[in-house]
Amino acid sequence: MADAAALLPNAPKTIVCDGNEAAAWGVVLSRPDVVAVYPITPQSSLVEYVSQFIADGTLDAELLNLEGEHSVLSALQGAALAGARTYTATCGPGLAFMFEPYVRTPGLRLPMVASLVTRDMLTPQCVWGGQQDAMTVRDCGWIHMYCETVQEVLDTTIMAYRIAEHRDVMLPVNVNHDGNYLSYGVARAEMPAQAAVDGFLGVKDVNWHAALDPLRPMAIDPLTGGAGGPGPSMFVRYRKGLCNGMRNALRVIEETHAEWGRLTGRHHAPLIEEYRLDDAEVALVTIGSMTGAAKDAVDALRSGGKRVGLIKVKTMRPFPVEAMARALSKVNAVAVVDRAVSYGWNAGPVYQETLGALYRARHMIPAVSVIGGLAGADITDGHFARCIGMAFAAAASGQAPDGPVWLNEND
Amino acid sequence: MPSYETIAFRAQDCDGCMKCVTACAQAKSGADDPAQSRIQILGAAGKWELALCRQCGDPKCVSNCPSAALAKDAETGVVAWDADRCVDCLLCTVGCAYAGITRDARVGHVSKCDLCDGDPACVKACDRGALTLNTAARIHRRAAEREDLFAPGLAACQGCNSELLIRHTLRHVGPNTVVATPPGCIPGMGTVGYNGRTGTKVPVFHPLLTNTASMLTGIKRYYKRVGRDDVQVLALAGDGGTSDAGFQSLSGAAERDEPMLYICVDNEGYMNTGMQASSATTYGSWTSTTPVGERLQGKSTEAKNLPVVMMTHNCSYVATAATAFLEDFYEKLDKAIEVSKTGMAYLHVFAPCPTGWRFGSDRTTDVCRLAVETNFFALWDYTPDAGLTFTRPTGRPRPVREYLAGIGKYRHLSEGQVAHIQATVERKIAHLRRFERTGA
Amino acid sequence: MPHTRYLVVGASHAGLEAVTAIRHWDAEGSLTVLSREAHRPYSPTILPYVVSGRSRPERVALKDAAWFEARKVDLRCGEEVVSIDTAGAVARTASGTEWRYERLLLATGAAPAVPPVPGLADVRFHVLRTLDDALALRDAGAGATTAVVLGAGLVGLHAAEVLAKAGARVAVVERQAHALPGYLDAPAAGIVEAAFRDRGIALMTGRTVSSVQSRDGRPVSVTLDDGGTLPADLLLVGTGVRPATGFLEGSGIAVGQGILVDDTMRTNIADVWAAGDVAQARAFFGAAPIVNGILPDAVEQGRIAGMAMAGDPALKPYIGGLPINTFPFFGRHAVSVGIAGEDDPSVEIHRRLDARAGLYSRLSLKDGRLIGVCTVGMPIDAGVMWQLISRRVDLAPVKQDFVVAPLDTGRALMSRLWR
Ligand SMILES: Cc1cc2nc3c(=O)[nH]c(=O)nc-3n(C[C@H](O)[C@H](O)[C@H](O)COP(=O)(O)OP(=O)(O)OC[C@H]3O[C@@H](n4cnc5c(N)ncnc54)[C@H](O)[C@@H]3O)c2cc1C
Repeated sequence: MADAAALLPNAPKTIVCDGNEAAAWGVVLSRPDVVAVYPITPQSSLVEYVSQFIADGTLDAELLNLEGEHSVLSALQGAALAGARTYTATCGPGLAFMFEPYVRTPGLRLPMVASLVTRDMLTPQCVWGGQQDAMTVRDCGWIHMYCETVQEVLDTTIMAYRIAEHRDVMLPVNVNHDGNYLSYGVARAEMPAQAAVDGFLGVKDVNWHAALDPLRPMAIDPLTGGAGGPGPSMFVRYRKGLCNGMRNALRVIEETHAEWGRLTGRHHAPLIEEYRLDDAEVALVTIGSMTGAAKDAVDALRSGGKRVGLIKVKTMRPFPVEAMARALSKVNAVAVVDRAVSYGWNAGPVYQETLGALYRARHMIPAVSVIGGLAGADITDGHFARCIGMAFAAAASGQAPDGPVWLNEND
Repeated sequence: MPSYETIAFRAQDCDGCMKCVTACAQAKSGADDPAQSRIQILGAAGKWELALCRQCGDPKCVSNCPSAALAKDAETGVVAWDADRCVDCLLCTVGCAYAGITRDARVGHVSKCDLCDGDPACVKACDRGALTLNTAARIHRRAAEREDLFAPGLAACQGCNSELLIRHTLRHVGPNTVVATPPGCIPGMGTVGYNGRTGTKVPVFHPLLTNTASMLTGIKRYYKRVGRDDVQVLALAGDGGTSDAGFQSLSGAAERDEPMLYICVDNEGYMNTGMQASSATTYGSWTSTTPVGERLQGKSTEAKNLPVVMMTHNCSYVATAATAFLEDFYEKLDKAIEVSKTGMAYLHVFAPCPTGWRFGSDRTTDVCRLAVETNFFALWDYTPDAGLTFTRPTGRPRPVREYLAGIGKYRHLSEGQVAHIQATVERKIAHLRRFERTGA
Repeated sequence: MPHTRYLVVGASHAGLEAVTAIRHWDAEGSLTVLSREAHRPYSPTILPYVVSGRSRPERVALKDAAWFEARKVDLRCGEEVVSIDTAGAVARTASGTEWRYERLLLATGAAPAVPPVPGLADVRFHVLRTLDDALALRDAGAGATTAVVLGAGLVGLHAAEVLAKAGARVAVVERQAHALPGYLDAPAAGIVEAAFRDRGIALMTGRTVSSVQSRDGRPVSVTLDDGGTLPADLLLVGTGVRPATGFLEGSGIAVGQGILVDDTMRTNIADVWAAGDVAQARAFFGAAPIVNGILPDAVEQGRIAGMAMAGDPALKPYIGGLPINTFPFFGRHAVSVGIAGEDDPSVEIHRRLDARAGLYSRLSLKDGRLIGVCTVGMPIDAGVMWQLISRRVDLAPVKQDFVVAPLDTGRALMSRLWR
């Protein structure tokens, strides 16, 4: 086996790659101990890259080729409880199959990192991008961060470990990047030096709180709760503890992004990004890779004199409600563009969150729910121009349309 | 009944050096002639066997002796032979299935092991530990001497054999272990504890019902990576978590021959949650989801034959066991522990459930024994190299009706259903026989 | 009327083994053993050695008083059962005692069958079934100069050897073509016969005694069916035995050649069992039930009966009796287990014979399984062979080894089965 260190950059290095490869490099630099893989479109090339890196010795990790996503996450839980830094990636039906151990991971407070190469959900049967998978599991207790660019995928993957393993957080993190658009979209990316990442992540200690280790015998997950004895209060303590971890994560995510910016010169917005918002009358709210085209649309309208800005959600969980409330307070109407559906609300999930933040801001403005880009559909700058138009209309009338606007309805 | 010393033989530790034979011949005749030895080692390299008096508790040689020359000494347990009374008729040899009493032509009468007054020369001569002087009580005492790694006061139902099973298992496996007990009776009795308290002195956890084998995979692989290969991972799982929902992860681990010891405690259904049927529930069984009524007569389909399924995966070791035959279980457990250092060892242990199967809590061991003796639950072990070996004879089974008779969950069975079960038992044994190694 | 939970009639191998088995399962239930014998329980098999003087009569008791006491067994010697009322569950003895039982075992063995030879009834002749028979024969043998033994079975040959050693000129008359018919095959019997002839014992096979000549109730000579005569001042009848069932008349207990029993040794009456030489039970080879009449089978049946009577759930049904014989003669041994199968073309027979040295072995295999083995002068483990036959152990995988070295191969197989 080649000396792993020799293959890694000892100085920052520029590469051209797609989002899946960028995530794989982020994994390499984060040096997980155990990686478990099971392929699924559009994640497959990501785990192929990681497997190849392990095969080549670029990454010195235990590679588990398991028989399905359920076992993938289960094995990683075992490894994490034994002390391992872990990694996997999945999406769509794979995530659904993983659901049972998935919902359990936050309660065990396992600081794992898993990429979701987001994909629309069945049915209709489809294999293309969309965020229905990740949005569906947004309330399971995982931290969810959505990336906009190939570079952000690489950087966020590394940052995710620091956030997850932070003693005040101790929660699993999903680093989400859009299937098709980011997974296969090629761009230039800067790779930090391994030594810099090593220093940034510090000494790994993932099972100080809960371990399966004969040197520190303990029972993991005794039956807890019930109606009597210490059960109810103990159960509440665990639940509140998880909520506290989530709350702490807001701070830790910001600190981590700031530290990363100092280290690499790349400053990604940690929770939300405000784009040309300061004097804006209306704003788009976006998430993920659609934001690029949305910013182009904003820029174009700005050059036409329209006062429009943009709020990009990066961290969907914990939801940065204060930051969002502050940003929303600056405008008179918003159009929220979702790549997923909340069936019961007949709107997009980010839209719902936005409504919540507006209430928190006591800022009762019209908000338009727009749903687009499902199952791999493109959201163009033309689409965004339409959205901005709707936002201005809503601002003028003080009214938003009933029900969502389906962007690709006539495409 | 007092418990007596006997000489125990572990074939796997014998290298055929014949030192025991020479030592016996020396001790008993002053010569090196192996023919004068009362212990004989037979067979060939790798499969040594033993011919020696077992000092039976119920010796047939004594019953067959017309001259009262043989008697079991109540004090020492030795089946003693009296030269003065012996008439050299050899009827004693008819009674012995193990060639433990045979005629020595040189002295003109039978001779047999007398345990050398409690200090057998053969045992002393064996430097491989293949021969040991044992009492049944001492075997249990030896188990007792090892630390009980479960807390006292586990709350299993009266008559349940699982507690015995898991306590003895962990005593053998030892403290450097991580134990997984997926939802079922074993955590139900408190092994993982309640509300922050644990029932186990080694690391223990509740996996999901579905992911025991994969969680153990992750644990073991990590310890291997960090050079702590000696950490043993152990599953104590029910049949539901093994054969139903947990099967995929088990199958994957077996396919990869992941180093672990996986013990399925088979009580043929979800007994912990109110006796619902699982894929391990046997044909005809009443359960709360295969009830008996005008239209349904208990489970209408066969049980999944999981041990056989596991045998045809890539496991390094597969065996079945029943607690009526504890020494058989110990032997398999020891083998399994050894194997699980490098590959997957799967033990399928029969666990009749007095509560869910509806039989008296004093009958569990009888039910185990009858299951084995009727071939309803055959005892065997399997390695890819050696094939399948029956560890209790299956040639002369009792009718399965005798097993079914005392068990409430079979009370409603029609004659036709009993006949069906008998036929299934026979078919399953015939199928198993095909995995027996050929060429002894 | 005395009452007992278990009543065992006959205190020999079958009866005593039943007692042991009952006490394995039921340590307390009242248990009574009635024996016709005034002597403490002994084995008929020991009798030739009593005759020869090798076994002293006061040393032949199978179990001492402490044994019965420890097992809370009420042993009544000198109590002969004369009738059974199965409806009332009562056994009446010659002394007039009536025993009410809950479970009854008939282990009354067999009695000599005396052939209807003209003149025989008029003389004092010997049989050998009881200790008293043996003592009488011992005393008579000391003074006899010529002896004729009817039958070359176990009893006849044992007695012939003893009488010859005591100095008598002995002739044995056997109706069948060779000695120990039913146990030994012809080559084995040939070696045995040669040994007897070498010691001056006349073995007249294929012959019967057609009449007995006497004076004052004492035998003088016998005439054979070929007209020859043999001098005989001592006559021993060893022409076989008949189950001792006389007292069962009117009891309703079904009797064929012996008491008919099922595979748990139960008779046609629900609370009555029978075992040993008195019982007619399943045969291992062949469909018709047999009276096997050998000691190891009496033990086997006694154990099964005892377990069944006590309700021991470990009971395994009887698998059928087969011929087994270990025959010592002049310091040598003939051993036979199972059948030769000579008339079955599908049986594979492996023989080795060294007639001069008196060595013989024969293995009979059918469908890869052992059905019989017979040896003379060569070591063999009868018990191991019995197991291999009765378990129908598949020898196909080890056949080569087994045929060459049955002793070691059989031992290794049983060792493995045991573990
Ligand atoms: C000389 C001789 C040599 C033998 N050699 C061999 C041999 O080498 N190998 C072999 O396998 N077998 C041999 N046998 C046969 C063997 O002894 C019998 O098979 C065996 O003893 C049968 O045991 P049992 O308990 O069924 O009957 P038995 O031993 O016959 O015992 C029956 C007992 O019941 C008593 N009894 C009978 N009727 C009554 C009654 N109405 N009331 C109370 N008590 C009663 C009898 O007195 C007797 O004590 C030999 C037999 C003899 C006689």
